This record gives sequence, structure tokens and C-alpha cells, in this order.
Amino acid sequence: MPFPNVRLSNRPLHFIYLCDCSGSMAAQGKMQALNQAIRQSLPGMAEVAGNNPEARVLVRAVRFADRAEWHLQEPTPVQQLQWRDLEAGGITAMGEALELLAGVLQSPPMEERALPPVLVLISDGQPTDDFEAGLATLMRQPWAQKAVRLAIALGHDADLEVLQQFIGPEPPGGGRSPRRPLQASNATSLAQYIQWASTAVVGAASMPASQVQGAAAGNIPLPDLPPTVLDPTDDVGPLVW
Amino acid sequence: MTRLLPEGASLRFEGLEQPLQILRALGGGTQGEVYAVRCGAEELALKWYLPACLERDPQLPRRLRQSIALGAPSEAFLWPLALLEPTAESRPLIRHPKAGFGYLMALRPAGFVGAHRHAGGDLEISLQNVLRAGFHLADGFHQLHLKGLCYKDISLGNLFLEPGSGRVLICDNDNVDIDGQGGGSVLGTPGFMAPEVLLGKAKPCASSDQFSLAVLLFRLLTRHDPFRGQRELAIRCLDEPARRRLYGEEALFIFDPGDPGNRPDPEEHAAALVTWPIYPRALQELFEQCFGPGLRQPERRPLTGQWTQQLSRCLDRRQHCPHCSQETFPDPPRPARCWQCGSPLPPPLQLQLNQGRVSATAGNTLHRHHGDPLAPIRLDQPLARFVHHPEDPRLLGLHNLSGEPWPGQLTNGQSFTLAPGKTCNLAALQQLHSSAGPITVLRP
Repeated sequence: MPFPNVRLSNRPLHFIYLCDCSGSMAAQGKMQALNQAIRQSLPGMAEVAGNNPEARVLVRAVRFADRAEWHLQEPTPVQQLQWRDLEAGGITAMGEALELLAGVLQSPPMEERALPPVLVLISDGQPTDDFEAGLATLMRQPWAQKAVRLAIALGHDADLEVLQQFIGPEPPGGGRSPRRPLQASNATSLAQYIQWASTAVVGAASMPASQVQGAAAGNIPLPDLPPTVLDPTDDVGPLVW
Repeated sequence: MTRLLPEGASLRFEGLEQPLQILRALGGGTQGEVYAVRCGAEELALKWYLPACLERDPQLPRRLRQSIALGAPSEAFLWPLALLEPTAESRPLIRHPKAGFGYLMALRPAGFVGAHRHAGGDLEISLQNVLRAGFHLADGFHQLHLKGLCYKDISLGNLFLEPGSGRVLICDNDNVDIDGQGGGSVLGTPGFMAPEVLLGKAKPCASSDQFSLAVLLFRLLTRHDPFRGQRELAIRCLDEPARRRLYGEEALFIFDPGDPGNRPDPEEHAAALVTWPIYPRALQELFEQCFGPGLRQPERRPLTGQWTQQLSRCLDRRQHCPHCSQETFPDPPRPARCWQCGSPLPPPLQLQLNQGRVSATAGNTLHRHHGDPLAPIRLDQPLARFVHHPEDPRLLGLHNLSGEPWPGQLTNGQSFTLAPGKTCNLAALQQLHSSAGPITVLRP
């Protein structure tokens, strides 16, 4: 006879992308790279979700350009998610995007009990609306305060200060940290960061990973960033001689 | 995705005669990446660490060398076989400015699945095999502790099960150290860590392993968590501070016999309420001991040997409910009822050996420890197994799996010999003389 058909009750883990779709995202294939990076990350994310019996991973996405709007409004189980391409065009209503986000992080519609949400803000430029007001509205929500907030800066024109404000206080010391904006200078590093956020961070937020001494404090210890892997063309020897 | 090691290439390592051909990536985590590699004719697994691991945990190579020298405590461990440092000519092939290091181990055989699949209710497995898995897990830690070692980071994440047999594999053995050597940096996994480790008052050691083992056994046997009851319902956001309260500062076992303050909620925690009554009192008492007095007093935690003893005794009592055919494990003195359908369970036919009794149920097994007081408790070398007649499933027999013939008597007084590989019908059997001593049939 099989083991009784019961299981540990799980909690929802809301994972929400906030994607800059302003006109500048059309340049240098950035919009396509972001669409690809998210699409490519889904199988790995589904696997992590499957490995974490304590979590029900649900994905949503907000796009912001002239206005902010839901690109994927329904919280969708990652296993069923099919990513629809984002399109670029307009300015950067980042503040409005945060207001929109604040609306869904209040209870209801948020469940009474959940795992910490994971919010990923991706931008290549400067907000053109009242970012401060949007952030203030967002941070009044307890679920936003509890959330793991990550930011990815695409290219060199992204406003790192604004992204840092979204994440929270900057950690002391220098160097790369998940509590600083992650700077993606090309499609490969963007894909790595998206992959990292959708797998390692989702894992950490849903089921605690093994911990080591001196791990950074916070309500969710964040996993190490992906290593800076050398470009594969680096190991073929000199390219021209 | 870009990997640290080039797939398809052959790399040479210090002290290893043959090069390793990197066949394919098997997975990656926050610590490093795992690859299938070919070493001569053999396929093995290679774990390669991210260089940041060594910076955070400089003792890692020392521990691995020590474990490699000591050897695996039992077959349940995917143990490190060799430490790997790339030779000067192989270093440039590794796609990281600091090449890093790794170790070799056996490949995980097909058929073993992550224990989280069982915890998540996503695995078909019998109760017998769940109990066997619990036994093999406890026995693995028993052997590890007997070697003077401790594991430090037991969790669902590093246990694999074979659902058809209940065999287990314990992976990620790179935190293993001599008990009491405080060198390592790992603390454990929240939800499995002993309270004193979670709260930063002690380092992981053999007695914190005993606590984590009990949590993992509870998760396997009940598909629930020992501390998630009413108190979990009061937690809105289950983050690290909440886990510290639930598993540390305010930890209370959901079935604590003296304090009902954290009982399972009938809706949210149904799994615990369904599965806990399956198990005999002696097994429940070990959990009560570990999660009651043992919560704050490490010296009061059940030892690994107590777990193997009670888990094997529970398996010896396995009996099918005649009404719903569910597997049951009745406690002899209590009036036996099926935990699933509530039907009364008839007293079973049993076999009495010098050291224990085993219920006659197809699939149950006799072992040397049932007869020989000096034999260690093991499940992997059965002496005999109860089997149905291949054509008439109403007939139950005892199949001699030992290499020796066993003389015996039938109920009519007639003598006979049960040759190795043969089965005798229990309905006519009175006694056998096995290599582990006499076996007597006890009829209800």
C-alpha cells in the first residue's frame, strides 16, 4: 500500500518582475535579451519550485514605460508559465510601477500567510515620474518590507541610486553584493542574474538553505552571486597574431 | 549557461594518473557544480567548488582529505574518493581566474530520487520502504558517529531514496569532520538545526546531528514538520526571524505529551494527524523524547542505535489490514485497530527467535539480529523472507535466503529440511533451526 496521500502544507511565494520597457530598451537588443533571459530561466525556476515542497511559486510581471501596467497579472504557477514578449517604447514610469505593486502586496489580495515575496526590478534608465512617492507607497506595505528586493541595472545609463533605494540601505564595504544593484553590461550577465534570482533566491526564500557562519543578516539570507565566469572565447588562446 | 569546467575536454589533476574527461554537467548550486566524468573505463561524479567557497571555508580541503583517508562509514554515503587540484597545464582550461578545486565521488545510481519529493507528497512509496529508508538513514549516522565523525548539516536536501527498496544515499559529505573539531563554518539548515545551533549557542556536533536526524526521520515518516502546528498559523511571513522563533526560541513539538499548545491544525496540518497514529508508541516516544527534554538538553536526545532498534522492531510488526489491506504496525499490548479504516486487526501469526518476534506478512524479513544477540541490527542481508505461493496467494511461506539448509519440524511432528532458496508453507510449520538459532511458529 502506498504512503498516505498527504503532504506538508505549503505557502505561496510571489515572484514579481518589474520590467523597464522604455524606448531606450529597444536599443542594442536589450528588450529581446531580457525576454530571452526570462524565458530561458523558467525551466530552472520550475525545477527549484519542484524541489521545495514548502513553497508554491507564483509569478507575475509589471511593465512600465509611459504608464505602468500588468504584463502578467494573474499569479501563475511557474510550471505553467509561458513568457509573452515585452515590447519597448515610451518613457520610464517606475514610480507608478511601484504603486501598482503596492496594490497587490496588501492583504487582501495577499494571502494571510505566505513566504517572503521576491521582487525583481530591471531598468536601463532614470525614472521619469515621481519615483520617491511610488517607493514610499510601496514601503508602507508590510509585505514589501518583508520582501526580498533585487535590482538589475542594464547597461551604463541605469540610475544606480534609485535602484539602491528600492533595495534598501547599501551594505558596508565594496564589491558585488545582492544588496546592491546587479550591473548587467551584456546579455550573458543579464541571463546569469535573472537565472540566479529565479533559482537561487527563490530557493532561499522558500526553503532555507544550509547556513554558514557569518552569513549576511537580513530576514532572508541571500545566496552568493553567480561567479564571474570567463567568456568562453577567453580560453581559445590569442584571437589574432 | 556557462560552466566552470569545459564539457568534452580532458583535464589532468595532481596525483591522479589518468586525465578526467568532463562528460556533462549534472547540476549546479550555490556551492559549486557537479559533472559526470570518465576516468579510464569508469564514470564518476566530480564536484567543483566555486572559489568563494574556499575563501569562506578554508578548512574544506583538510576535511575532504581526512574523510578520504578514513573511508565511507557505510554504503549509504556518496563519499569523497579523491581530492582534485588541477595541474598547471589544466588550469587555463578552467573558466575562472582562480581555478578552484573539487573532489571525485561515485555517480548517484539511477532510481534514487530526492527525499524532498517524498516530503512534497510527490512519490509513490510503501510505508515499509519509508520505514526502511528511516532505518538506513539512522544506521548511516550510527556508523558515521561510531567512527568519531559528525555530519553537521542533515536535511531533506542531501538525502536520496530508492522508492522500490527504501535504500538511501546521503550526499554532500563535505562538512563531515571529527566530532568536536570546531573548524568548519557550516551551521546547518534552518528547520533541521538543533535549537542551540540555530540560536548561535553551540557549534554543530554529534548531538546536534542526533536532533537533525530526528527531524529528518519525522519528515520522512509523517510528511510533516515536528514544529509546525498552531504556532505556525500565527506567523504571517515565514522568514528567518520567524523560523528562529518556530524552531528555536519558542520551539514546541506538535505532539508534546505535556503541552498541547502547538497541536496540528486539522486543515492546515492534516498530514501530521493522518500519519502520526500509524506508528507504535515506542517510536513515538523517541520523537517525544528528542523534541521534548532533548530540545534543550542535548544529552537527553535518543541515540542513533535507539532509532535503528525501534525502526527495525516497527518493521517486524508490519501486518496488512484484512479490511482495507493497508500496512499497519500494531503495538502488541494495545487492542489493535487499523489506523486507516479503524477495523480491528486480528492477532498475527508470528515467528519467535531468541532476540525478537516477526509477524508473518509477505515482504517481512528475518535477520541475523533476530536470533544472535551479538549481531548488529542490519536490514541488508536478510536470512529469510515471507512470500506468497506464486500460484496460490492464500498460501504464505518462509523463503530461506541463507546459504545453509535448515532442519525443521512440521505440526504433525514430521522432520524435514528447508534447503537454501526453498520456501516452506507456514500453515504446516512448527519449528526451524536456522543459522541464527531456533525459529518457532507462534499461532494466535
